[in-house]
Amino acid sequence: MKGFSNQFKDLPDYILKITKEIWEDRGLATLHHYYGKDIPMRFPSGLVRGNAGVIDGTLATLAEFPDRQLLGEDVIWSGTPEDGFLSSHRLVTSGTHTGFGAFGAPTGRRFTIRAIADCAAKNDVIDDEWLIRDVGGITRQMGWEPSDYARHQIAEEGGPETCVRPFHPRDDVQGPYRGQGNDNEWGERLANILTRIMDKDFTVIREHYDRAVRTEHWGARGDWSWDFAETDWMRLRSSFPTATFAIHHQIGRNDPGTPNRAAVRWSLTGKHSGPGHFGKPSGAEVHVMGITHAEWGEWGLRREFTLIDEVAIWKQIHLHTGGVA
Amino acid sequence: MSRFANLPDYIQGVTFEIWEGRQIASLHRSYGTDMVMRSTAGLILGTAGVINDTLGSQAAFPDRVILGDDVIWSGTEADGYLSSHRSMIIGTHTGHGVFGPPTGKVVATRCIADCFVQGDVITDEWLCYDFSSMVQQLGHSPRDWAAADLERGGHRPFTPDQDRPGPYTGTGNDHPLGDRLADILTRIMAKDIAVIGQTYDRAVNIYHAGGVTGWGVPFAEAQWMQLRTAFPDATFTVHHRIGRADKGEPDRAAVRWSLDGTHTGHGLFGPPTGAPVHIMGFTHAEFGPWGLRREWSLWDEVAIWKQILLHTKDTI
Repeated sequence: MKGFSNQFKDLPDYILKITKEIWEDRGLATLHHYYGKDIPMRFPSGLVRGNAGVIDGTLATLAEFPDRQLLGEDVIWSGTPEDGFLSSHRLVTSGTHTGFGAFGAPTGRRFTIRAIADCAAKNDVIDDEWLIRDVGGITRQMGWEPSDYARHQIAEEGGPETCVRPFHPRDDVQGPYRGQGNDNEWGERLANILTRIMDKDFTVIREHYDRAVRTEHWGARGDWSWDFAETDWMRLRSSFPTATFAIHHQIGRNDPGTPNRAAVRWSLTGKHSGPGHFGKPSGAEVHVMGITHAEWGEWGLRREFTLIDEVAIWKQIHLHTGGVA
Repeated sequence: MSRFANLPDYIQGVTFEIWEGRQIASLHRSYGTDMVMRSTAGLILGTAGVINDTLGSQAAFPDRVILGDDVIWSGTEADGYLSSHRSMIIGTHTGHGVFGPPTGKVVATRCIADCFVQGDVITDEWLCYDFSSMVQQLGHSPRDWAAADLERGGHRPFTPDQDRPGPYTGTGNDHPLGDRLADILTRIMAKDIAVIGQTYDRAVNIYHAGGVTGWGVPFAEAQWMQLRTAFPDATFTVHHRIGRADKGEPDRAAVRWSLDGTHTGHGLFGPPTGAPVHIMGFTHAEFGPWGLRREWSLWDEVAIWKQILLHTKDTI
């Protein structure tokens, strides 16, 4: 790979190895090399600038969950060494709450959740990133309800005036990566499915999903067949029925020996004006950052993985309603 | 394969018709009159037995759906096909049956069925439900349920002495992916547990008998060690292997195997009893760029407990 250290044989190898090196092998300081000095990192919980912030965030997480493990389930990628790569990296991450941190005093509780990181990489360096952790999943496994935990966050961060603002496109900055993925048919297919869902054309699921589909969604929840997928997507869309749906990035791949697959990053921006996953409609202006991965088989889409950050959504709702106490 | 595009479509299609389509009587056509069904729970001979067994399950779980996860297959139209069909079976326990009176509980379990298909008819079969996960979801321990079922005069589990030769004599295909999985299992059973670290993706996802799931190499190692150590002197045999590299599909394999020996180790099945035990095992695997990335292995823990209890004459 031109511009990359020759210890990496391809982009997935680079992503998997540096993730292990940084986290499990404790190479936090390697982030000075692997992460751009001014990298914009867009978490649903807020925008973070620069590798110093990334290092401190990593350290805080490791101090709280020192045995945190990150298992790379898949890397769905596009691009070239010359133009830069975009890696959509799906992980299963687990750890034990043995230190003080975002979840308070150690509880000894264990968590297992998924995360998806979209990283732009060029010349051995990640210089642009969008990262969704299943914060709702980890929160529940730590013994909190996401809504309560969002309130707690607001208070811990000094109250509604000073707390960290969840990510909204009006706060975004242009990073070095300007790509939108590739034009592979499988990316197109997933983008179309998501667009039809968001157009409230829910027949798309029975039409395109395998009856034996396994759907893994935010909140560390998953189930089999069409009903779960339909219900969960309906509850999300119903919470924000007038929100604008946008697709920001799509990748499709058909590599030999692996299932046809796709990765799409999308968002919903608009009012919390309906019932669904987030209680009573509040009228809050909300931005939902979402990433969906999919694998196809002989009978349609057979594995779907979607993450959003419920705590970041609740935080936007509480900041609007003032229900922060 | 008259009504169906290919073998996987046939298997998924007839499964749907028989179960959810209620065409139980169509088994008279789709199953051979004298077929041998080697269910881990007990030997069933002939279509009539299969029909009654199916009816019993449907009566206990009338809303049962069989979601076909994969069909890994070998063979040809001329010689017949062997289909290894992995499914998720989900239903609500609203009827009377082997699990007693209705509990209203939803039970979700895995099943692998190896079927020999000749000209639209299934004439030979090897079958494993994850019975242990079912009884646990219904609130029982596998041991106690096995003991209670034996007292009620329940099925004697399948052991090779009951076997009858069926029409299928094949051993799969000679694809390298089938060999790869067979080699991994053979090394695990030779107690060369290091093979897991060498050949599995570190992000592997595992499903094992008893409804056990988990991530990563240490989990896979612990699971396999736990099984092997209960039967340390048992003989491991690979009976059937299929490998497939289909376009747009993950590289994958299906192996049917057995362990035959005595219960001479401590572990999942309590202190050693010396009981002679036959374990019919099924493993499906998907491989990815970083090794074996998804593994499903089924055997029947209830059938194992029954063999132990029949030996020790222990009851509830």
